[in-house]
Amino acid sequence: MELLLVFLIGVLYAAGVYLILRRSMVRLLLGIILLGNGTNILIFLLGNIVKGKPPIIGANLKVFQDIYADPVPQALILTAIVISFGLTSFAIVLLKRVYALINTDDLDDLNTPEEEEDL
Amino acid sequence: MIDNQIIATVVVHLFTAIIQLAFWSKTITQRILSIAGCIIGFIFSIILFTNVFNGSILTMNAANWEAPFGIVFVADLLSSTFVLLTSIAALAVSIFSAVGIGKARMHYGYFPMFHFLIMGLNGAFLTGDIFNLYVWFEVIIIASFVLLTLGGRKAQLEGAVKYMALNILASTFFLTGIGIIYGITGTLNMADLSLKIPLVQDQNIVNLTAIFFMIGFGIKSAVFPLYFWLPSSYHTPPSAVAAIFGGLLTKAGLYALFRVFTLIFIPNEFIKTVLVGLAIMTILTGVFGAIIRNNMRHLFSYLIVCHIGFIVGGLGLYTKVAFMGAIFYLIHDIMVKTNLFLISGLIRKLRGTMNMSKLGGLYAEYPKISLLIAVVLFSLVGIPPLSGFWPKIYLFEASFAGKSYLFLASLIIASFITLYVIAKLWAEVFWKEASTDEIVADSFQPLSRFKKTLLILPIGILACTSLFIGLYAEFIIQVANRISNEMLDPSPYIKAVLGK
Amino acid sequence: MLFTVLSGLITSGLFIPFGKYFRTKWGAVIAILPILLFCYLLQFIPVISTGITLYESYEWVPSLHINFDLRLDGLSLLFSLLITGIGSLIFIYASSYLKGHSYLDRFYGYLCLFMASMLGIVLSDNIILLFVFWELTSISSFFLIGFNNDHADSRKSAITALSVTGLGGFFLLAGLILMGSIAGTYSIGQLIESASIIKNHELYPIVLGLVFIGAFTKSAQFPFHFWLPDAMKAPTPVSAYLHSATMVKAGIFLLARFTPILGGTSAWSYTLMIVGGFTMIYAALHSLFRTDLKAVLAYSTISALGILTFLIGIGTQEALIAAITFTVVHALYKATLFLTTGIIDHETETRDLSKLSGLRKVLFPVFIAGTLAALSSAGMPLLFGFISKDLIYEATLHSEQHLALYLTIAAVLTNVCLVAAGFMAGIKPFLGNLPQQYEKVHLPDQSMWIPPLILALLGLAFGLFPAVAGYFIVSPAVTSMSAETVNAHLQVWHGFNTVLLLSLVTLALGSILFLYNKPDSRKLTLLVPLNKVSPQNITKKLFKKFVNFSAWYTNIMHNGFLRSYLLKIIIFAEALLAYELFIGGSIYIDYTQLSPISIYEAVNVLILIAAVGLTVTTSSRLTAVVGTSAIGYAICLMFVYYSAPDLAMTQFTIDTLTVVLFVFVLFNLPSFINQANNKIIIRDSIVAITFGTLLSIIAIKVLQVPTDITISEFYGQFAYTLAKGKNVVNVILVDFRGLDTMFEIVVLSIAALGVYSLIRLKLKSSEKD
Repeated sequence: MELLLVFLIGVLYAAGVYLILRRSMVRLLLGIILLGNGTNILIFLLGNIVKGKPPIIGANLKVFQDIYADPVPQALILTAIVISFGLTSFAIVLLKRVYALINTDDLDDLNTPEEEEDL
Repeated sequence: MIDNQIIATVVVHLFTAIIQLAFWSKTITQRILSIAGCIIGFIFSIILFTNVFNGSILTMNAANWEAPFGIVFVADLLSSTFVLLTSIAALAVSIFSAVGIGKARMHYGYFPMFHFLIMGLNGAFLTGDIFNLYVWFEVIIIASFVLLTLGGRKAQLEGAVKYMALNILASTFFLTGIGIIYGITGTLNMADLSLKIPLVQDQNIVNLTAIFFMIGFGIKSAVFPLYFWLPSSYHTPPSAVAAIFGGLLTKAGLYALFRVFTLIFIPNEFIKTVLVGLAIMTILTGVFGAIIRNNMRHLFSYLIVCHIGFIVGGLGLYTKVAFMGAIFYLIHDIMVKTNLFLISGLIRKLRGTMNMSKLGGLYAEYPKISLLIAVVLFSLVGIPPLSGFWPKIYLFEASFAGKSYLFLASLIIASFITLYVIAKLWAEVFWKEASTDEIVADSFQPLSRFKKTLLILPIGILACTSLFIGLYAEFIIQVANRISNEMLDPSPYIKAVLGK
Repeated sequence: MLFTVLSGLITSGLFIPFGKYFRTKWGAVIAILPILLFCYLLQFIPVISTGITLYESYEWVPSLHINFDLRLDGLSLLFSLLITGIGSLIFIYASSYLKGHSYLDRFYGYLCLFMASMLGIVLSDNIILLFVFWELTSISSFFLIGFNNDHADSRKSAITALSVTGLGGFFLLAGLILMGSIAGTYSIGQLIESASIIKNHELYPIVLGLVFIGAFTKSAQFPFHFWLPDAMKAPTPVSAYLHSATMVKAGIFLLARFTPILGGTSAWSYTLMIVGGFTMIYAALHSLFRTDLKAVLAYSTISALGILTFLIGIGTQEALIAAITFTVVHALYKATLFLTTGIIDHETETRDLSKLSGLRKVLFPVFIAGTLAALSSAGMPLLFGFISKDLIYEATLHSEQHLALYLTIAAVLTNVCLVAAGFMAGIKPFLGNLPQQYEKVHLPDQSMWIPPLILALLGLAFGLFPAVAGYFIVSPAVTSMSAETVNAHLQVWHGFNTVLLLSLVTLALGSILFLYNKPDSRKLTLLVPLNKVSPQNITKKLFKKFVNFSAWYTNIMHNGFLRSYLLKIIIFAEALLAYELFIGGSIYIDYTQLSPISIYEAVNVLILIAAVGLTVTTSSRLTAVVGTSAIGYAICLMFVYYSAPDLAMTQFTIDTLTVVLFVFVLFNLPSFINQANNKIIIRDSIVAITFGTLLSIIAIKVLQVPTDITISEFYGQFAYTLAKGKNVVNVILVDFRGLDTMFEIVVLSIAALGVYSLIRLKLKSSEKD
């Protein structure tokens, strides 16, 4: 199964890179999201995955009796997901503002010749 | 030694920002709060610095969980020096902002964002946990996005898109690196990592991980060929914002590079060579860019890139002398680069433009301001005995010792081109007669005396700091010496954090 | 001694607040400073002439061994007397020359800074301290050359001068540091002691090369000489002081200072003889073609500097005596000539030799000064110049056998030209008929014509009593350059010998040359074909190429296209990772550690990959967004399956929110247009797939490393017992690593505020800050 996930990570990174190399701003954002997903799965995978053993201590227990999934990567991913949501949502709004200003989402058009008065 | 005061500088800015949020549209209150917050932060950072300088490394366990289980804050001399420099720069920029930033921007959260940014920087310098460092970097990034876009002008937004994309990419590399490093060591505490990384059997993986960190932090430090966001964006925001960016953002990346490559990954020959090679190319890239730019802020942006090469090269040579040169240069650079952008803001106030060919006549009209600026410019060039001169002695010495003559050559070329462009700038902006066909939009003259002072004072503060660094080089050298020792031998750091 | 150096620095600093009081005729008061310093230094002559060296030391940067180590020996005393003595006269002269100039205070400020730095150079006993002052002279020279800063020419010349001397300075610094690290000291005294270590070190040639570049740029040796004629844009007192009598001699001083450290090897001698010899002939010939008085003087100065370099290169005791004597001689007569030129320029408003004549009738004392100086420069007996010319010929004649003839010929050739150049500058304007337009010219203020007269008369006095100069000034100076005590016997009469013959021949040939070489601006056109290969033009062209290359490079690298930046970064990352993987050797997979694949997982991954494919290939924005959200939901399912319920919930929420935001924003955007051609798509695909592959391989490698679970075990152990929580992930988030979460929330809040501001704030173009 790990190999399948490894493959998946590769696909997500590749797709992310491909998308951020495109000219469309929307694709750039989607690429960033995919890269984020790829990273999350990578962290997840590298912290020893376990099926069906969530790191939750049983109802009447004080400590784990059984093996359990490593909780640390989960916590990290959780934080990372939320943070990248903050960034992504800001970026999405930025995209909208840029679109409103220059009326295109072509990244190649982001080169207004230096009109200093506009700074 | 455990000392909970060490995050005072973080808390001060956090609270300043939150209180300012309560005074959302009261710009005068915000200005006063901001300056007050920066002064308090400055005092705390001095206390922190003196405590560390006179004592030993201080630590603080967040939520009282012992390292490596909880998040630990560590103030060694490297961290506390950065915090101190940040506080000085923040104070100067805060004062400058009081007049230099328009009311509209203040109405939309300029000051809270500014303090969040400073908080993020201080947090990044003080944390002893690699994932926590990531969180601080994200705080820095999001705050800088907001500051960069605040105002919503076309050039700003265009620059911001590039800034955003490249910085998020950097974070991706950084986070990937963190994932791998956790996978191979099972820890996130930097001191613990320092102990566990050498135990990893497959050092090849360690080197691969190091590359992720190098690229992630390399983008943030604007190293060749990862620097593109810097000249794309630094000329767009208001000068006060550009000042804090120019002085501190790239330096946070450099801090991380130094921290990671002296504490966690001890670089092998390959990484060292790559670092020196990148440094040479960074220097040349900055040189090439600086020589063709005619707008002051473009010029300064490329000079930032150029001089980052000096510091990265010092890291890559990886000897004590080289470290001392790099650290001294960093200390000098933060003060000067912050000031340069403030100066460009002041000149814009004086003349309404930053285009060198349109400027002129400042020396005749404002001789004293001009001389003040001259001190900063000469510090930048490294005219002895000003601050930029001393680190060069160490860097030259280190490159002779390391036989990296290419690096030496690029240092000489860069020093020369810096001298040349600054001489050109002086001739164009200060000496040349003011052009008569352009209407001079002097928005400085009509200001009240108090406001004029608020614009010039911060430049003076930073210039005096630069002068101090230059004339009392002995003290800075001692600091650099101690920091280099810390970097070459991390065992006191580890002992302070883990107690072993 | 410290005060000698600092007084000028402090005075120049004081000009910033108090300068305005010195803009008037009171400016001359400031001349008290150099006069006092001169008198102060004079009293050391008896002590120093006994061969004693005085030392003083103040701590500054002990960690770098850079301290205010000062030494006063014969060499420094000679130079400091020149600096303060000529300085005094220049200060007085300038008060009239620049009378009424609104920035007279700045002028004096720069001049004080310069004087102090120059004194610093010659008094330093520490090579880095010396360098500090070295650079300060370059800076003060920059300000003085650009003093008339509304002229584009002045600004340009100032930049040229600073660039050339500045570049040389950086090389010099490198050389000094290398020298210091070889010998383990920056102290000149200790360096002299370890001279043999340095000379035998494998890096000695590099040290020598670097130091030479520094000295040659400063002292305007070929091919770096071109900044000096340009620097004549400075007010004439500056040309006299900096660019003739003192600053340009700093390079010579440096060579003299380093003679006991680096000198005596053949690399040292030959380089200096060749460079100095070429410079002196080249510049002397050039001076004949000029019609601008200051240009004549500039080139003859370069030539004189060449002679000095040449003599130091010969390096025999006789040559050193000649060099030191000539330094004084030249300083005296050349400063005089500059000052008389300044008077002529000031009164007639031209420096064109072809127009000037007969001025003796209106400027008689100036004529006397000019003539004396010219005669001294020509080596007329009974003037100081005669002595030095004798010494120079003696030095060349007595140099190594096989060289003597060539060196002597070079020296004679140079001197013949210099005789003519001196006559042109010092005598020509005063001879002949006075043109009508100059009849009203009158003698300027005394403070202008007395200084050159004093200097010229000094030249006469030393010429009559050379032994005084020889004993008190020249001998101690040469002693400090040599291992043993030197007694220079300067005398007027040497008897009839080859040297005297050569001197007379030189004088005669020079006079003939002067008579036949009429100043004519058309002569300059003769040099035009040569200009193409002149160092100035070559430098200009090279610099232009450099700038063009810079523009080309910067436009390629920083071309404005985000995707190109991203591409470069990704490729760079790939290169490094691939290299590291490559040297890491083969990769093995331990199948026993892997868990089996269930249908459920396989299907889920297939859905994921299909969704990725859809997102990447679709040309509809909405489809792409839907694809991305499908990816998110599939990952969500995976999290559920792999024991991460919290993650699944978060991923689900965030994914939904993102899609909502996207749709909200994309509402009015047009669909993708296909903006890339196949070539680019293939290139990007290769880059992307490589990146994905590298990441997969790395992931596989990392999976083989056994995981250390001490920390997660700790969390499992104490989540409930200490932190009172059963969901360990939650406990980590809110307690163990609560700080992360706290600032994660800060990030969200900042983003929210930012979104608000971004949507609301649209600055009008009138609002600038």
